[in-house]
Amino acid sequence: MDKASVNAKAAREEGKHNLPFAFRQYSPEQLKEALRKMYLIRRFEEGAEESYTRGFIHGTMHLSIGQEASAVGISLPLTDDDMITSTHRGHGHCIAKGADVSRMFAEFFGKETGYCHGRGGSMHIADVSKGNLGANGIVGGGIPIAVGAALSMKKQKTGRVVISWFGDGANNEGAFHEALNMASVWKLPVIFVCENNGYGMSTSTKRATAVPNIADRAAAYAMPGIVVDGNNLSEVAEASHEAVERARRGEGPTLIECKTYRHRGHSKSDRNRYRTKEEIEDWINNRDPIRLFEEQMQEYGVINAAGIEAVRADVEREIEAAIEFAKTSPSPDIASLTRDVYTDLP
Amino acid sequence: MDTTIRELSYAQAIQEAMAIAMERDERVFLMGEDIGVYGGAFQVTGDLVHRFGEDRVMDTPISELGGAGVAVGAAVTGMRPIFEFQFSDFAALAMEQIVNQAAKMRYMLGGAVSVPLVMRFPAGSGTGAAAQHSQSIEAWLGHVPGLKVVQPATPHDAKGLLLAALEDPDPVMIFEHKLLYKMKGPVPEGYYTTPIGKAEIRREGKDVTIVATAIMVHKALEAAETLASEGIDAEVIDLRTIRPMDRETVIASVKKTSRLICVYEGVKTLGVGAEVSAMIAESDAFDFLDAPIIRLGGAETPIPYNPELEKAAVPQVPDILKSARDLVNGVR
Amino acid sequence: MPVEVILPKVDMDMETGRISRWYAKDGDAVTKGQLLFEIETDKAAMEVDAPASGTLRDISAAEGATVPVGQAVAWIFADGEEYTPTGKSDATPEATPKAAPAEMESAPHPYPLPAGGEREASASPPPSSPRSRGEDAGRQMRGNDEAPRATPLARRLAVKAGLQLADISGSGPKGRITRRDVEANIAVSSPMPAVKESLASTADAPLHAVWLRQGNDPSAMPLVLIHGFGADLNSWRPLFAGIQVDSPVLAVDLPGHGSSTRDIPENLDAVAEQVERTLSAHQIGPFVLVGHSFGGAVAATITDRGNADARALALISTAGLGPEINRAFLEGFVGARSEASLMPWLKQLVVDDSLLSKPFVNATLAQSADEGLRAAQKVIVDSYFADGTQTFDIRPALASLRIPVRVIFGAGDRIIPAAHVAGLPGEIATHIFAATGHMPQLERREQVLRIIQELARATA
Repeated sequence: MDKASVNAKAAREEGKHNLPFAFRQYSPEQLKEALRKMYLIRRFEEGAEESYTRGFIHGTMHLSIGQEASAVGISLPLTDDDMITSTHRGHGHCIAKGADVSRMFAEFFGKETGYCHGRGGSMHIADVSKGNLGANGIVGGGIPIAVGAALSMKKQKTGRVVISWFGDGANNEGAFHEALNMASVWKLPVIFVCENNGYGMSTSTKRATAVPNIADRAAAYAMPGIVVDGNNLSEVAEASHEAVERARRGEGPTLIECKTYRHRGHSKSDRNRYRTKEEIEDWINNRDPIRLFEEQMQEYGVINAAGIEAVRADVEREIEAAIEFAKTSPSPDIASLTRDVYTDLP
Repeated sequence: MDTTIRELSYAQAIQEAMAIAMERDERVFLMGEDIGVYGGAFQVTGDLVHRFGEDRVMDTPISELGGAGVAVGAAVTGMRPIFEFQFSDFAALAMEQIVNQAAKMRYMLGGAVSVPLVMRFPAGSGTGAAAQHSQSIEAWLGHVPGLKVVQPATPHDAKGLLLAALEDPDPVMIFEHKLLYKMKGPVPEGYYTTPIGKAEIRREGKDVTIVATAIMVHKALEAAETLASEGIDAEVIDLRTIRPMDRETVIASVKKTSRLICVYEGVKTLGVGAEVSAMIAESDAFDFLDAPIIRLGGAETPIPYNPELEKAAVPQVPDILKSARDLVNGVR
Repeated sequence: MPVEVILPKVDMDMETGRISRWYAKDGDAVTKGQLLFEIETDKAAMEVDAPASGTLRDISAAEGATVPVGQAVAWIFADGEEYTPTGKSDATPEATPKAAPAEMESAPHPYPLPAGGEREASASPPPSSPRSRGEDAGRQMRGNDEAPRATPLARRLAVKAGLQLADISGSGPKGRITRRDVEANIAVSSPMPAVKESLASTADAPLHAVWLRQGNDPSAMPLVLIHGFGADLNSWRPLFAGIQVDSPVLAVDLPGHGSSTRDIPENLDAVAEQVERTLSAHQIGPFVLVGHSFGGAVAATITDRGNADARALALISTAGLGPEINRAFLEGFVGARSEASLMPWLKQLVVDDSLLSKPFVNATLAQSADEGLRAAQKVIVDSYFADGTQTFDIRPALASLRIPVRVIFGAGDRIIPAAHVAGLPGEIATHIFAATGHMPQLERREQVLRIIQELARATA
């Protein structure tokens, strides 16, 4: 056991109130799993990027590298029964909510074994069985749907909550405002999570949004608006925990703003003309959410370097196997083109 | 006047048209998402922001409904906005302003105002962008009196129709097929317009008329070459405008060839081909039909992601070949 | 005052009736008691006779129309009575105040018939009732009781050329008539420059003949078709319905049949000579000859005579191979005047009587209404099939032929026994189809067509 962990263990034993939230709230196993998921997202995105470059993946993709803490941190208090709506930058949400990366890759490769049987691709990826109501190609498209799901949960008295992720760009869509208002009026169990990565495609929040923080919008709809460091898993998890508890208590929605950054461009065709190299490198080198969490974990003795290495190796194997699964999976039958346009009647 | 004709891409031709318009007319300005430093999702506005400044090349927030409405308001009050939707699919977010406001404002106010609004819609499939970024929704807007709807198929027409749209006192919706943006073709320098409401015969023929829109014009032309080698002489009409439609050109052609195929990427049912077919069936050309009319339109499905499924969801050259052969050989 | 012809109530609970067939057309002179039209009700077909003598005018309900009971469907003007339009629309509501106007279920003749009739240039005598017969042949080809299937262009061209769609064989899907089909008919029936010369000489053709097809390949060797007893050239149309053929196809009406002369030559040689002159008038070079039943005997005789350049011969259910023939059929067929009396005989023609479509029956009935035609056919029965015996023998002719010959029979033929093929020369190919009657070209259409086409190709 290294020195840092010894200190951390001592600190935990002396008084938990000095520890960051996640380290008080979750067991070392849960924290290791959180790290594994963040790493799985990172490696999934990198694997997808490489496969895209090799021509295995059609269309375009929006990578969430750099935003893993938001996906995983928000999901920590959730159960499999809780639901989410996601965005075009939704791979991380999908993995955080428990999807199998093999079937995700298969979807990206357009295969029949993919979650959407090759119909949806990156932009519509979802494991509905895990409560994911879908990534979305329309900015803000998922927000009212999440409100509807929350209304449904409330009417059915299921006790489940709904997370709606969206980007900073979405906060200027009419749907955002209309949905937040209704969620608040009806005190629905929904948590709005804005992943503010600073840019709606190329347009900075400063140029597009009249308020300094997206969370400031909450005031207009009489709900709590929380700003957190979206790259700090514990902070994200804490905000999520409180919002989920509040929602489960029937006290209504919360708006959480995770300040974060995407390391890659908006999509595969982005030439990064609107932000500087220095800015990008600063976020990569100094504010990487995974490195930050690894350091915290080591500091508080939850994991050591060998443990981290083991997690990485484990994820590596999982990604390799997943890509292999996707490559060798069958393509959809062309004759099935119009399948699932309508529900099959019995 | 001597005009030089160069090869430009479809995207360059549109950009040139917008630049010419902004130089000629101070009232013209551009609005859209990421059309400034980013240059537009398809690099159509390119570096225009550097030439004309952010006041005339305005990045909007991601607010399609509001943005469209702002453009309507500016158009009614003396400006000449060109509004770019990042994808034509996003027009769904702005339908209220397009359909209920822009299209009807002049009529509702008894002719007291005009809405000289130009909107541009990158449209169509083939990019792997799946169901919400690949649609061909021109027929939605073609159904709305008050709007004019054009689908340029060549760089020449992309420029000419945009400049014509700016001259038009009423709202003109321009659908630009995304796969055409990189296509090159001859484009005259300087100012010219291509008439709205006028179809163009791209290839003359006597055996079968193929009425096509947008990228399907090129597929039809490719098919026509193959058909020619088989002794089938196809006439290819580029419809160019779907509202108001050029009835005369199509009717005259069908009277000549006695056979009609409509090829369009939008969903087949209730689409552009339905209108063309019905128009022929109601016209003088009916008595000249020697075979059923064939519509080749998009499949009755959202656009799928998988590339093979995606291809299967819209008409392709072999579909046109088969239809033409079937009609001419009396198999269908 | 003209006499009203109404749709009579012929059944207890009958409110409307569907006119399935007219036996007279506008402008025809009719005699009181003459069969005017036939009504189909749920239960039966009923015949309606002319209520008066005179000229039939103003037929307001076409074939296929469903008409309320009691409504006027035509008027008869007495001889010498001045024709004034009867104002059908006024008369109708008076007759049945609450009745709806005639409702067209189908429209056999969407275009008005042109004045001057059809086939003006045809050398044959004017047909007795070409419209109804031709139409029904067309219907038979389409296999059910519907209007001719034709493209708008074909319809327009047909009207312009004075052609009846029903007389045109459709080469398109489901027998659809297209421009090509109409033009093929115009080519033989109108004085177009390209065919003027042959038309001039068809004036010498003693028999009526029609090009059923121009053929995809005009240089291909033509097929010449000779129908059997009691049929006419239209009986070949179903064989070619809806398919493309390379060879031009000429079909001939035998004497005493279709639109040909009613004078019956006294022997097969004389019939063959008439056909030869007809072919020569149509400038037929080398050709493939196909004959059915009695027409088979004629065909064999033609090839034996050697005057015409027949390069191959197909004989379907041919006569002339033996003495037996179904005498009851011949007599019953020629004597039948109603559907009820005709049907049992027609059923003897085929194994599967579902092939006997209503239009087919009606077409045959229409012929039976033509007294001159039936009289001529009686003469044929009396001379060629005297006392139920085939009085001619084509075996000697076949024995001497040096061209490819195919003989096609149905094993279940109840008119001429298939056993007659026994003992033919070894080089003659025989095709016997099981579960097939006297009409292999109808009952085994695809196979018969294939045999004929093979023959044509092999000969070319």
